[in-house]
Amino acid sequence: MTLEGRDLVCDYGPTRALDGVSASAQAGAILAVFGPNGAGKTTLLKALSGERRLDGGRVLFDGVPVSGTDPAWRARVGVVSHRTGLYEKLTVEENLRFFAGLHGQRAADDALRTALNRVGASALAAARVGELSRGQRQRAALARTLLHDPEVVFLDEPFTGLDPDGAALLEAALAELSTGKRIVVLATHDVARGLRLADRFLVLRCGRVALEDAAVGHQAPDVTAAFDATAALAPAEVAG
Amino acid sequence: MRELRWIWLFAAKDLRTELRSGGRLPAMAAFVVLAGFLFAVSLDRTQIPSRSVAAGLLWLVVLFAAIAGAGRTFDLEDRHGAFRHVLLAPVSRRAVFLGKTAANLVLLWLATALAFVAVTAFLGVRSPGALVAHGAVLLPGTVGLAAVGTFFGRVSSHSSLGDTLLPVLALPLLVPVVFFGATATARVFLDRPWPEVAGPVRLLWAFALGALAAGAVLFRHTAED
Amino acid sequence: MKPKSAGTAGCVLAAAGVATILVVHWMVAFWVPTEASMGVVQRIFYVHVPAAWTSFLAFGLAALASAAYLWLEDERADAAAVAAAEGGLVFGALMLTSGPLWAKIAWGTYWEWDPRLTLTLLLWFTYLGYFLVRGSVSDPRKGRRLAAVVAVAGALNIPLIHVSVSWFRSIHPDAVVIKPDGPTLHPDMLATLLVSLAGFTLLFLGLFCLRYSVEVMSRRRPPAGAPPGASS
Repeated sequence: MTLEGRDLVCDYGPTRALDGVSASAQAGAILAVFGPNGAGKTTLLKALSGERRLDGGRVLFDGVPVSGTDPAWRARVGVVSHRTGLYEKLTVEENLRFFAGLHGQRAADDALRTALNRVGASALAAARVGELSRGQRQRAALARTLLHDPEVVFLDEPFTGLDPDGAALLEAALAELSTGKRIVVLATHDVARGLRLADRFLVLRCGRVALEDAAVGHQAPDVTAAFDATAALAPAEVAG
Repeated sequence: MRELRWIWLFAAKDLRTELRSGGRLPAMAAFVVLAGFLFAVSLDRTQIPSRSVAAGLLWLVVLFAAIAGAGRTFDLEDRHGAFRHVLLAPVSRRAVFLGKTAANLVLLWLATALAFVAVTAFLGVRSPGALVAHGAVLLPGTVGLAAVGTFFGRVSSHSSLGDTLLPVLALPLLVPVVFFGATATARVFLDRPWPEVAGPVRLLWAFALGALAAGAVLFRHTAED
Repeated sequence: MKPKSAGTAGCVLAAAGVATILVVHWMVAFWVPTEASMGVVQRIFYVHVPAAWTSFLAFGLAALASAAYLWLEDERADAAAVAAAEGGLVFGALMLTSGPLWAKIAWGTYWEWDPRLTLTLLLWFTYLGYFLVRGSVSDPRKGRRLAAVVAVAGALNIPLIHVSVSWFRSIHPDAVVIKPDGPTLHPDMLATLLVSLAGFTLLFLGLFCLRYSVEVMSRRRPPAGAPPGASS
């Protein structure tokens, strides 16, 4: 399985958030997206997931164009972001049942329990989301995303606001996520952690790909250098 | 079938959230009663017969309750980004709109019942007419109000003006509801025979069904990025 | 239409409209006879009726263009909708101010629950909402789509608003121009009215084309490689 964005263009009014970005991600591997704030990381993830309409280019899944307006495509996508996206007044279990229902699943009790177990959150089922810590919420959010067993998972700054324990748990869950046949795309400004987790990475700057390579053999400082060293990059590297 | 299940899921989720939000229902109840009280205080009832103004005031209170309720409905969805995940699910936008409208409608019915009691009591309307007939008028009217309120609640939730914008957008459209609703309710207050009430009630139904249909079709344009 | 040719057409049409309206002013002030029952105030009629017609034309155009934008997602349809809606607001404001001035003297009150006047008022507020939505949504494309939704919803509601305001007894003067047995208006008055209608329509179409071309051109991106901030 391959997810591929070709020449993606996204505009927010006069601002061009993505300017001809091409990226591809493979099943069983994690693609990390780095870049300074405002470089277009979130927009790239939204463009690939189909949440954001494109002003140019297209997204292909195994060579077939996909669109966010197609429910069949949305059913194959899962998103985790720094905002939990859960209803505070409902319990974790009620949240999961609600979202499972939107995916057309009856959410059998054991499916629910499995999803919670996989992120180490089985004790939280009966607690209201509003009463949980940041790390617990993030795990519940991850369980929600796993519930419908998406083939493509997008993580947008999932580590923001997590304490070291929460981050370690999320990292472990992530590593498990990418084993098997899932495509995982992770956007983060935490380059060191991203390089540790990812198989490949790309650096966005001002809506363009500044650097793309395998994660192995790269250190955080030389990747971070690409954040603002515009002129220093050779054209070949820019083309990626 | 699947659509109905989605609508039910959404309405049940919204109502459960509302019930657990604590202050919301008491606040709405207090608003409705106070509004009825202030309307009654502001009128010289020696000059104006209560029954002829009660209908108009009742509809205004219900209208304001509908707008106030609709303004909040997408707050809860957006506050922690949950609506993004709703839109990511393979659920039809139509069902999301109808589900949220249904939840708003249930809350609006509670407000309407209370408003009816408050307005008739404060204005001293004796023998307010058949309750069944009032229900038959208020039902289609509240459906129209809930549909338009929910729809423009979503539109204004994208705007930096927020709840200030909602009445500007919704009120011009809601003129027919207030007009036909007040006309029909006034006739019920005056114990007029049903055929005299049926005309405006038919138009209220036309508005309600039109608003539901238009909202269901147009909602996807307001939902997505 | 290309924005440049729309601009040229707009200049020609607007100039023709202004010239015609100047002629109308001369006709209204010096040429047309005074109406017997309403007196000199009836002359507002030559502004009020064409303004009303033009605002309905403009709002209708804006609703159609908005529906087309939702359907086709073509930026040009949105540019046309904005151009028409602005014209509708301007001519609608003219109609809504000239109407009550006339009504105060002819009928004794500023506001009468006339169906057409009330419908215009509500449409005017709907399009005010249209511009408020556009201006207050941070992502311009989303703002355009939401504004188009407002315009379409407003248009769908017109029949019911019309029925509801018609239930009030209308005291608006009956249609005096289009009648099966020929117009009952004095021929000179009819001529003035028709010239005025033509002038207002030309002026609106001219402004519409100009505004459209400005709108389309202002959305062009700067050529690739231009430094940021160089966009206009």
